[in-house]
Amino acid sequence: MNRTSLQQLLESHHREAYIWARQCCGFDSELAKDVLQLTYLKILEGKAKLNDAAKAKTWLFSIIRYTAVDELRKGGRMLPLAEDHELIDLPEEVDYTDYDAIIKLLPSMQQQVILMVFYHQMTIEQSAEVLQIQLGTARTHYARGKKKLKELILKSQTEANHGK
Amino acid sequence: MENDELIKSFFEDMRTKDQNLEIPEFPKPKTRSINWIIPVGIAASLFLAGFLFFEKEPVSETPAEVIIITLEEGPNDEQQFKIKESSYLDTWESGTSSLLTEF
Repeated sequence: MNRTSLQQLLESHHREAYIWARQCCGFDSELAKDVLQLTYLKILEGKAKLNDAAKAKTWLFSIIRYTAVDELRKGGRMLPLAEDHELIDLPEEVDYTDYDAIIKLLPSMQQQVILMVFYHQMTIEQSAEVLQIQLGTARTHYARGKKKLKELILKSQTEANHGK
Repeated sequence: MENDELIKSFFEDMRTKDQNLEIPEFPKPKTRSINWIIPVGIAASLFLAGFLFFEKEPVSETPAEVIIITLEEGPNDEQQFKIKESSYLDTWESGTSSLLTEF
């Protein structure tokens, strides 16, 4: 794929790529802009190559995620990848309209699988490719993430209904 | 399935809210200038090397190494010294050769 085609591909996915970068950066918009710029440079300088055009979105999401992980590590803002804490207690108050804050209450791998499947309309298989994990592991993150997110949503809705 | 509907509805609301997100303009990424500097530098070096290699060196005149001084007879029977510079000798005559021929 030549440079012009790559640029067109990136431009067509730009909005979704930015939103995904922001989600990977803990919803930090400024960091997401930097991550996206670095990602585009990697691609246009040929440091990341697309082998299968049908998997363009998965490929782009994967590069964005790894670039975000690098940037977060540089800033000392990320736990090692293997370390994925489990949420023990739900917080006292959960605001249903603060979607970003609710998502951030999930462990990072669960956040990302859930976001890819429900927000970005990807399959669990695709999310496993982006995260470079086994499909079974991705399914586990998906099931646990869904369960926790449901609890958080119900809690926030209950609080909203009782005017708490 | 009911669980999924709850979550789908949550993300639908989240997407609606994200419609207000300010999306940065698609950047016009510039590749680092080193990419074109390298080939241009190589081409310039080759050109310079070729230019220097094929340039004709000026032929320098060899300095005169021999000064020939001869004593000749002028038109009015007077003796004249003639001084001539040369890098080689056509003929060489011993200073005492006349002794061999005249005596």
